[in-house]
Parts: sequence; structure tokens; C-alpha cells
Amino acid sequence: MERSFKQEVELLRLGEGETFHGEGILAVTKALLQSGVSYVSGYQGAPISHLMDVLADAHEVLDDLGIHFETAANEAGAAAMLGASINYPLRGAVTWKSVVGTNVASDALSNLASAGVKGGALIVIGEDYGEGASIIQERTHAFAMKSQIWLLDPRPNLETIVRMVEKGFELSEASNTPVMLELRIRACHVHGSFKTRDNQPPRFSRNNVLENADFDYGRICLPPSVYAQEKHKVEVRMPAAVRFVRDQGLNEVFPGRLSEIGIIAQGGMYNGVIRALQQLGLADAFGESQIPLYVLNVTYPLIPEEITRFCAGKRAVLMVEEGQPAFIEESLNALLRRADLQTTIVGKDVLPMAGEYTGEVVLSGIAKFLQVVVPDGVDPARVSSAYEQITAPKRRAKELLSEPVPARPPGFCVGCPERPVFAAMKLVERESGGLHIAADIGCHTFSTLPPFNLGNSVLGYGLGLASSAGVAPAMGKRVISVMGDGGFWHNGITTGVANAVFNQDDSVLVIMKNGYTAATGDQNIPSSGRNAIGVPSQMDIEKTLRGLGVEWLKTVHTYHVGTMVKTLRGAVNSAYKGLKVIVADGECMLERSRREKPIIAQKLKAGERVVRTRFGVDEEVCTGDHSCIRLSGCPSLTIKPNPDPLRTDPVACVNNGCVGCGVCGEVAHAAVLCPSFYRTEIVSNPTALDRFLHRVRGAVIGWFQGGAGARPA
Amino acid sequence: MSALPERPITILIAALGGEGGGVLAEWLVDAAVAQGFPVQSTSIPGVSQRTGATTYYVEIYPVRAEELGGRRPVLALTPSPGNIDVMVASELIEAGRAMQNGFVSPERTTLIASTHRIFATSEKMQMGDGRYDSGKVLVAAKPLAKKTILSDMAQIAQQAGTIINTVLYGAVVGSGALPLSKEACEAAIRKSGKAVESSLKGFELGYACARGEAVPGQPAPEKPAPNVVPAEWVRSKFPAPIQDVLALGVTRLTDYQDSAYANLYLERLAPVLVVERQAGGEAEGFPVTRETARQLALWMSYEDVIRVADLKTRRDRFERVRQEAGVEADQPHAIVEYLKPGVEEIADILPPAWAAWLRRRAEASGWQPDPEGGLEVKTTTVAGFLMLKAMSRLRPFRRASSRYAEEQALIERWLAAIREHAAKDREAAPEIADCARLIKGYGDTHRRGRGNFVRIFETLIEGKAGTPGLAARVRAARDAALADAEGKNLAETLTGTRSSSIAGAKGQTVVFMPRPAQASAPETQESSASR
Repeated sequence: MERSFKQEVELLRLGEGETFHGEGILAVTKALLQSGVSYVSGYQGAPISHLMDVLADAHEVLDDLGIHFETAANEAGAAAMLGASINYPLRGAVTWKSVVGTNVASDALSNLASAGVKGGALIVIGEDYGEGASIIQERTHAFAMKSQIWLLDPRPNLETIVRMVEKGFELSEASNTPVMLELRIRACHVHGSFKTRDNQPPRFSRNNVLENADFDYGRICLPPSVYAQEKHKVEVRMPAAVRFVRDQGLNEVFPGRLSEIGIIAQGGMYNGVIRALQQLGLADAFGESQIPLYVLNVTYPLIPEEITRFCAGKRAVLMVEEGQPAFIEESLNALLRRADLQTTIVGKDVLPMAGEYTGEVVLSGIAKFLQVVVPDGVDPARVSSAYEQITAPKRRAKELLSEPVPARPPGFCVGCPERPVFAAMKLVERESGGLHIAADIGCHTFSTLPPFNLGNSVLGYGLGLASSAGVAPAMGKRVISVMGDGGFWHNGITTGVANAVFNQDDSVLVIMKNGYTAATGDQNIPSSGRNAIGVPSQMDIEKTLRGLGVEWLKTVHTYHVGTMVKTLRGAVNSAYKGLKVIVADGECMLERSRREKPIIAQKLKAGERVVRTRFGVDEEVCTGDHSCIRLSGCPSLTIKPNPDPLRTDPVACVNNGCVGCGVCGEVAHAAVLCPSFYRTEIVSNPTALDRFLHRVRGAVIGWFQGGAGARPA
Repeated sequence: MSALPERPITILIAALGGEGGGVLAEWLVDAAVAQGFPVQSTSIPGVSQRTGATTYYVEIYPVRAEELGGRRPVLALTPSPGNIDVMVASELIEAGRAMQNGFVSPERTTLIASTHRIFATSEKMQMGDGRYDSGKVLVAAKPLAKKTILSDMAQIAQQAGTIINTVLYGAVVGSGALPLSKEACEAAIRKSGKAVESSLKGFELGYACARGEAVPGQPAPEKPAPNVVPAEWVRSKFPAPIQDVLALGVTRLTDYQDSAYANLYLERLAPVLVVERQAGGEAEGFPVTRETARQLALWMSYEDVIRVADLKTRRDRFERVRQEAGVEADQPHAIVEYLKPGVEEIADILPPAWAAWLRRRAEASGWQPDPEGGLEVKTTTVAGFLMLKAMSRLRPFRRASSRYAEEQALIERWLAAIREHAAKDREAAPEIADCARLIKGYGDTHRRGRGNFVRIFETLIEGKAGTPGLAARVRAARDAALADAEGKNLAETLTGTRSSSIAGAKGQTVVFMPRPAQASAPETQESSASR
């Protein structure tokens, strides 16, 4: 695991009235414990990866309370675990990255929502939207609406987030409905504080087991129960939820002086709205706003009487709703129409329909709103001059810089074992011409960026091979699919491999076996050798593939670029018609260094012989054509000013970040690039023989090199 | 209550994955918590931790929470333009990105940035020089920020044996823009418990740097001016403005081959100078001769196995490798070379007839380099060293080699064209001279580069002196050839010129084809010269 929370999890033991200082994710975990959950699960993915890491590191705290934790195979598995709450008063929570995770989980979620729950069921959603997102831009809101799952969108401060976790369970039980808690990227990582309460041992758990299984056909999602369940949703559960949200005051109204207008905002938008108002001189540092605010900590369902009460008597109300379609804004218009209120709803006409509502976007939207409605007591000229002043630096910078600075997207790490696979693919493409490459989700998706530009489509996690099934028969050259080992275990094993073998697809699959779900922070997977809490497992990708009926199977260490080129070439040109699988074996360098660093440090300390390797480029031999960079993209393989006064183009060089993986040398060999690369092997704590040989060789070579001194040292 | 500050202090940290930007944010939070200030931080780790650009955002309300009577400030999760008090950038272009996004304003922002460059992939992967002009960022910083603290903090960090985030942290605190005490900030480092001593050292240096105190580790200027004294002969025969380049060329070629070869260099340049002088180039300092002199020196010292073996066995090269790898005095170490001489490289140093025979044999047998093959030669062992040393001693035979004959023939054609153009079109001539830059690299890269050169040369340059607008077209073609290694841009650019000679030229551009099998098809005079 990339990040350890071993120290932080101690915060989970804080008791009544103590103060917690820490990250949002950790606060959510604490809130789960304060709510008496019986079981927790999920699937990692930014921005909630750390929640899974925290739960894994906190398993001792969980064990003490009798709470069951396991990592799910995928989000569908996690959602299905919530089935425990259908029949029994067990509180459970699961988490995943959304919208993609919700997509995967949707089958189980529909069934869960239809059956309804006895015990509180909470789904913590990491809404991966806007800056820092790594997926398609969609709203989870639609899922909540179509399955009638309540959606919480708390104000992004730890107090409100924790309160909403606790109230979420109560709401779930009061309305027999699962509840989603949506946390945006920055809210997951927000650092703040709140007053803690004692952890609640779950009513039923490992420590206090249920005696009898419950049978109720009404809970089964088959006709005729499903008809009754749908009616129950609209006739009983929805009104119960509306009552609970209203009675408990989960949404918040903040009064303001300018009563003829108002702003309705999703809870997650609150801080951004306040900051924009502060910048326009309409709010103070403590959120005291001149414009009345109605903040939706619950964005589904809406509470009609709260909305009509807020809007009544107002000329215009701004709806700050991030993302599209504008479900809430549309509902507001319908609600006001039904209540026969003439308040104008302003929303997507001054705010963008698509994209994240950053500070700048909200500021600009509110400024436009004020300029359109011109409320009494606000000077529109002051608003526009404040807005101009705030946005001036951006325009000035554009003038001064004259061209945009180069983009810096994420890429493969130094020493990444996946990079050389794409170097090899590039070399195979040189001979074969362009190939269709069905890419997948994982660190390896970086292959679609420069310098590789490899990968024609991305259809979802573990779906690389499945996404090639339609295109492969229509292609003159064999199609290559890529899948990570994370994607393999997530679903690629069935949707990809089993299906391709079953249908006898003529295709090439490269499985990146780096040992972990590296892109999400190196969480363990079935082939890692250990599960999330460190218990050994014996599962093996190659054995699994053989078991599935894969006959053409080769495992190649990824750093051997030449061998990888030959293997890929062999697979692309092979006479064998079925599925050809290449397991590209190479452990994630981040995880490997984390493991090896302390061992090496210990050896050095103990005086044991250690050989350190690093690579270099001869600046005199390098001609500055940078083909090595176009085939590698390693961050430590970079450029520097040409030391040769006659040359102007920069030369390649290897910086101190080099971990000595050797791929640049391998690529130079496989691509017949140039003789500039060299490897240095430096011996620490050398033996007597090392020293002797070094001296003798130095003396002889020094003599041939001439000049002062007989040996180079 | 009315005396309370109306807004929090905002700090935006722009860093690259792995530089410890997150730890820096944590230290600031810890120090603020220790002093009792309401504080909040957010970040967007996601996948940006994998070497990409990322930001961390901290807001501190500069009044102790207990003095607020239960009120809590509302702190924002995202930075807003025009609303940043301290902008920290761990690299120069990231500072530029912050400016571009409006996060540096003259009313409020203290800009603290390291001036070193970490090049983006798009800058590194160009055939030529794709570097962003970072001078622009430095120039823009002063008018855009209220206060700037700009220094090569990567260098300072390296000297202190620490990571850049510690130096930046020190500079943030030293800038005086935050209500945090130095003691509280140092305590935050101690509390984190990792590499405390080196981090505190980095912190101290950053602190001093922000206070304008002298800090060790400031870098030397990028490229020291060449300091080569031109020989008497050069001084008497060539005008002053180009003497420095000629001196470098003479030194290089004497080192490469011998003094006779250096003389050939000067003899080749003399007629170019004559033509340029006649065309009135003196007033501008002989730009054509100067550029030709630079390129000719490089071209005449083309890289063959003899040259590579020579460069790799030199004493100063061994010394440089040791320094780069951080090898201590007397520390045993090995240097391993990655060499892969193929048919072409061997044919290059054989006499033309032998080379032709070898190439025919290789072609007939369908020889292709084995991707798994290649030599790893340990030049720090006696045997490995002597092998390369012996190779370098083949230098006297170079003049008889096939590659020598081919290079000299193409050089003569290029020089003839420069002379012809210099007389008629002073704008085009330096562009033509600069085209020699396309021929670089080894193996396939070299073949492609050379193919591009020949293609441009034969399509646009040779026999086309005086064509209107030629300079711009040559420049465009050269840029296109440098822009993508596959040569697609060049093909489009050349086709776009709609020159009637293109169809004919296509039939002649032999080496442009990547595969040797196709490369030797038409045996015209041009094609053998262009091999």
C-alpha cells in the first residue's frame, strides 16, 4: 500500500468530547464507528482510495468492535454486501469511486433499493468530477434518482460530514432506503477538525451474532414482490424520507439582508459560494451572508415545503448546481410552478452547464446573477469592478507569457515496469504499421499520452479485451488489448478472458502484472500474495489463465525490452488462431522501492556489500535527437543544455531520480538507438577483492589513457 | 468582533508528484494547529501523484480559535484567482502555470518559486529544441506578484542533502507572509519524525533565502562562453566575427582526425566567405559563413564507431561519469557501455567496395538486427577498455572508409549549394546551412534524419537559387522534419509546396525509406551519394 495510516488510525479511538484533527476520509471512518456499523467494504479508486487504506490499517480497531471488513472484488461485490441490511437490523457502509464504481455496482444497487433495508445502509461516494478527476464526467445524482436512493451532499467541513454520516444511517432506517453520501475530490482530502463521540459497538456483529435467519418473500426482487416494492417506494419510503429530512433539519437556511433574492446551493458548493460572496463584499469570513442561502445537504429527495417557503416573496433565486443534467434546477421550476410562485430561477443561464464549479466559476456566476437581477442595496458597478479586479491578473499573465506553458499530465513513474512494454509496442508498430490497441483503466492508460500515443479506446476497468471483440474481426492486423492485473481480477477474467476463449477470439492480450492496483495507491489484489489485512493468499494469474483454457501463454519480464518485442511480434504474427496472452511481469517500482529501501539501508549500515546501479548518457556521444526520450518517457531521462559550444539542441541526460531499472539501455539496444547509454555499478562496502581489482584495472587503464597520474581515481 | 480580519490567509502550493508538496501542506497545517489558528487544507492527489503537476491548498484564519467566541470561519476548498496570499511553486513552469491561472496578483501575492526546470515530455521529445522559453516566466513574475522570492531551490536542496519541499517551507516561513512562528514551523518538522536533521537544514537555508541572505548552492551560468584562442592562421585569413567558431572547429577536427583534416575544414570555408563578402555579408558579421562553419565542423566530425570508441575511453570521460554517479574517491565501480554495432556500422568503416559487398550480403540474407542482441562492454575492465581503445586506433584508416567518402560527397554538394545561394539570396543561405542540423543520431534515427535532409535538399534547395520565398520554405520544411520523427509532417509540408519537382524528387529520395531492403533500389548517382 502506497500510504500507511498506521499512526492516524489511533484517532479512531478518540472518545466523547475530544477533538479530532485530520483528513476527511479519516473523519468519515470515525463517523462510521460512532454510528455502530456492523460491516464495511468497498473498492479502491481516487478520491476514496484512502478510505479503503484507512479501513485496512484500522482492522484492529474494527476487530475490537466486532466490525467485519473485507475488500470487495469490485463495486458490484461491495454493493451486494449491503444485502445484509435487507433482512436484518445491521448497519453497513461501502465505498467506491463514482460514477464508474456506481456503474459497476448498479445491478446490486437496483435490487437493494427495490427490496429496501431494515438496517441502515450507507454508500460513501467519491465523486470524481472536475480538476484531478481521472474518469468520464457524469453525475451520480442520476443513479440516486432512478433507483430512489437518497443522496446526501454535505457542506464540506468535517462537522457537517460527520453529522451527515450519522444522520444518513438514521434516514436509511427511517425510510427503509439505502443512502448515498457524496464527497467531492477535495472534500475527501479536506483537513479539518470536529468534536468526537464514543464509538458504538454494533447491535449485531461477530461479537453478538444473530440467532435466526429471516425469510420474507416481500424482500425478494421477483414478481409479484417487485410491484409492491415499487409502490412502497413512492407511497411509504419517499414521504418518510421527506419527513425525516425536514424534521431533523438536515438542510440549512442562512438568512440575509437582501431578502428579495436568494441562493440555493448543493451542500458541497457552500464554501465556494461563501468565498465568492466574500470576494464581492457580500459576506464576512464567518459565512455571514447578505444574500439568504438555502443549503441542500440532502440533494435527493428535495423537500417541497422548504423550497416554497424559501422562495416565497423572492424576485429571483440562483441555483448553484454542479454538473449536468440540471436535475435540481428543473425540479425547482416544476415545484414553483405547482405552488404558483413567480420567483425566477436563475442557474445554468449564468453558470456553465458542464464542468467543475471552481471558485472562479462560482464567482463569475454570482457576479452575473447580481448584474441581471440588480437587487436593492447592491451596486452593480461595484460588483463588476470587484469582479474585474479579481480576474485581471489572469489576463495580464496571458499577455506577459504570450504562449501557454507546457502541459504536464501524469505519466509513468521512474522505473515503472509498464513503460518498457509500450516502448516494445512502439518498436513492433515500426515494423507492422499502426495497430489497434484496446486500452484499459490503470496506470497503463498513460500509454495514450505522449511520447507513446498508444491506445485507440478505453471502455472501462477490466474491459480492454472485451472492447476488442467487435473490432478485431474487422481489422487486417491483429488487435492488441491491454489489461492490468487489477482489471483482470475486477472483471476482466470473465468479461475478457473467459469470453474470448469461449468465443475463440483471435486476439492478443497483454496483462500488466505489477502486483497491485497501482493507480489507486498500490492496494493488494488476489495475486499480490496477501490480502488487505496481510493474510497470505495463493492466487496466481498464470494458473488462472490456464484454468480458463488459455493455451498460448507467455510470461515476459517487462524490463527485457528485446524479449518483449520478440514476444509481441510472435503473438501478432502467430499462426495460432485463439487468444494469445502475454503476462508482462514487473512489480510496481513504487511498492518495490518501499520494500527494498529499508533493507538496503540496513545492509549498508551493517557493512554488507551493496551494488548501486544508475544510468547515464555520454554528453559528447549524444547528438541531441531525443529518440530515446520518444521511446521511453522516463521522468529521469531528461535534457540539459548542450555542453558542446558548437551544438544548440539540448542533449539527453539521466538525472538523480534514476533508480537503475535499466530500461533506457534495453531500449537503446532493442531499437538500435545509439551508443550514448552507459550503466554505472557502484560498490559500497567493497570486499578486498573488489578493491584489489579496482586498483589493478585503474592502473592499467590509466597508463593507456596517459596524462597525469597512473590511475583514474 | 469588527476588528477581525475579513478573510483568511491563503496558500497555494504547486508541485510535481514525488516532491513532497503534500508534506509541506501538512507541516503548515500542523504549525497552524499548534498555534491555535483555524486551518484547512485540500488537495487533488488522484493520479497526479504519478509525476504530473498537482496542487495543495491551505487556508489559515490568523486569529486563534479560542478568541473567536465559538464562531468558525468558512474556509474554501478551491483556490480562486486574485485571492492567493502565498503562491509556492516547486519549479519554474509551475510558477508560470499559477500565473496563467490568475493565482498571482500584484495586490496580494508573495510568489515563492524555484527557478530550476524539470522539462515536460512535450519539451523533451522534440528532435531539436522544444524547450519553453522560461525567461518569459521570470520576466512576468515581477509585475504580477506583490513580492517575489525566486531561487534555484532544487540546487539548494541537493547541496543540503534534502528534498525541495523543506527549502520551500523555509522560504514560505521566511517570507513573513504567514502568522506562523519559526519555532512552531520547525516543531512541525520534528513532529513528523522523518529525516528531521536534513529537513531542518533545508528549512534553514530556505528561510535565509527568503530573507535575502546568501545561500550556498547557487548555480553557475548555464553555458560558459567558449574560450578557445584561434591560431595565427585563422586570425590572418578570417575576419574577427567568425574566428571563435573557426577556432572551435579547428580544435574539434584536429582532435577528431588530424591537422590536415582541420585545414580541409578551413579550405572549405574560405570560398563561402569570399561569396558572402561579395554579397555584402560583412555588415551583418558573416552570418552564412558562421552558421556554415558551425555545422561543417559538426558534420565533418560525424560519429562513427571509431569516434565513439575514442570518446568513451578518455580519461576526462571516466572522471565525468564518476562525478555524475556520485562515486567517491577510490570507490570500486564499473562502467558498462550499451553498444550494438550492426551491418551499417561495420560497413561504414570498411572501404567502399567491401562495404558495398557486405551490404549486399546482408540484404540478400534478409539480415535484421535482433531486438534481444547487443553488447554490454565493461570499459572499467582491462579487456573491455582495450577493445574500445583498439577500435579508436583505427582513426588513420577513416579516410579510406565508405562512410567518409559518402559524407564528404554530400558535404561538397551542400557547400556548393550554400555558395550558390549566398550569392543570390542572403536570407535563404543560413537556413540552408542550418539544414545540416537534421543529420544527427545513430542507426535508424540517423538514416531518417539524413533522408529528410536529402529530401529537402533535392526538392527545395539544389539548383533552386534565387527562388522567391525560399528561406521561409526551407525553414518550414526543416521545422516539420524536426517536429516529428516519422517524417509525416515533412511529407505534408513538401507536398504543400506544390513544386513541380517533387514527383521527381520522390523517386530519388532513397534513404528516406526505413527498410534497408527498399533503400538501395535505384542506383542513381544521387542515391549513392546520399547513402
